[in-house]
Amino acid sequence: MMRRTRAHLFAYCPREYFDEGVRSMAPLSLAIGVWGLVTGVAMVNAGMTMPGAIGVTLFVYAGSAQLATLPLLAAGTPLPVVWATALLVNLRFVIFSAASRSYFMRLPWQQRLVAGYLNGDLGFALFSRRFADDPERGTPEQYGYFYGGAITNWGAWQVSSYLGILIGGLFPTEWGFELAASLALVAVLIPMANKFPAVAGIVVTGVLSVLTADMPMKLGLLVSVVAGGAVAVSIDVWRSRA
Amino acid sequence: MNGFHDWVYMTLAIAGLTVVTFATRSSFFMLPQSVQLPASWERALKYAPVCALTAIVAPTVFTRDHEPFISWDNHQMWALLAASAVFAKWRNMTAMICVGMAVFTALRWWA
Repeated sequence: MMRRTRAHLFAYCPREYFDEGVRSMAPLSLAIGVWGLVTGVAMVNAGMTMPGAIGVTLFVYAGSAQLATLPLLAAGTPLPVVWATALLVNLRFVIFSAASRSYFMRLPWQQRLVAGYLNGDLGFALFSRRFADDPERGTPEQYGYFYGGAITNWGAWQVSSYLGILIGGLFPTEWGFELAASLALVAVLIPMANKFPAVAGIVVTGVLSVLTADMPMKLGLLVSVVAGGAVAVSIDVWRSRA
Repeated sequence: MNGFHDWVYMTLAIAGLTVVTFATRSSFFMLPQSVQLPASWERALKYAPVCALTAIVAPTVFTRDHEPFISWDNHQMWALLAASAVFAKWRNMTAMICVGMAVFTALRWWA
């Protein structure tokens, strides 16, 4: 007899492991909260309407992509350039998903889709560290820990962003909240600049993006990313052959 | 032109950005297991975000009116350098943002 089961959006996980995930993410909530607050204030400060800012926070849920596309949206940049920028910033998540897929592949697709949405920088880092040496993949313990950490991260981000959106109008623009947004992006950038090819890519991209800042439709951004990326990849390939 | 008050533009922007979030975060969770990430792609995927973040931050800090602005008067630049040094040493984003904003505000008032 066929039995139809309702497709749950979350995999089943025991309470104790969920709580362990919550406990490991909780100390990071302060940093997540600051980053969310800055993002919320920056969005409103740049002129985004409240429904827009709430929509971005809820659906896009990617701080670095949100902050990176903010000046582009403010300038009314053509949408393909906006989307391409977000895609470039988010490409690191493709690596995360490839690296952690073995834990999730036995779940139904709806649960995998939601788990992916929740698999941000911090959740991925904690989860990978905790279970890297676990020979078995896809255990209730792993799911519990993953959801506990990821949902704590999601909650801290949502609450702090909405708080920032609410109070954002109180800060005059000359206080420079766009700078706080840039600083938050640099905090994501610095840990990735741990090897020479990445540093070379940063220097080439940085210089080119400043020199091409007057190109129409922010095309200088894409030009400098392609050039800087090509330099970084070439150096990496050359070094691994040498 | 400001895109924020054009609701068609914003709705399409958010819809597309949502697709980008799912397409990247859930990418390999949704692909069949036989599809693996080629090692050569991994390099490109690793460096693209580094360069994209740089290309966003550098012009906002180091240009003014689309022209290079490397000067003693560029308060954002000094704030960014101080904040980066703090983050490189302590790996603490909260401290970094506080120091950066403090340097910026101090320069804005007194320099």
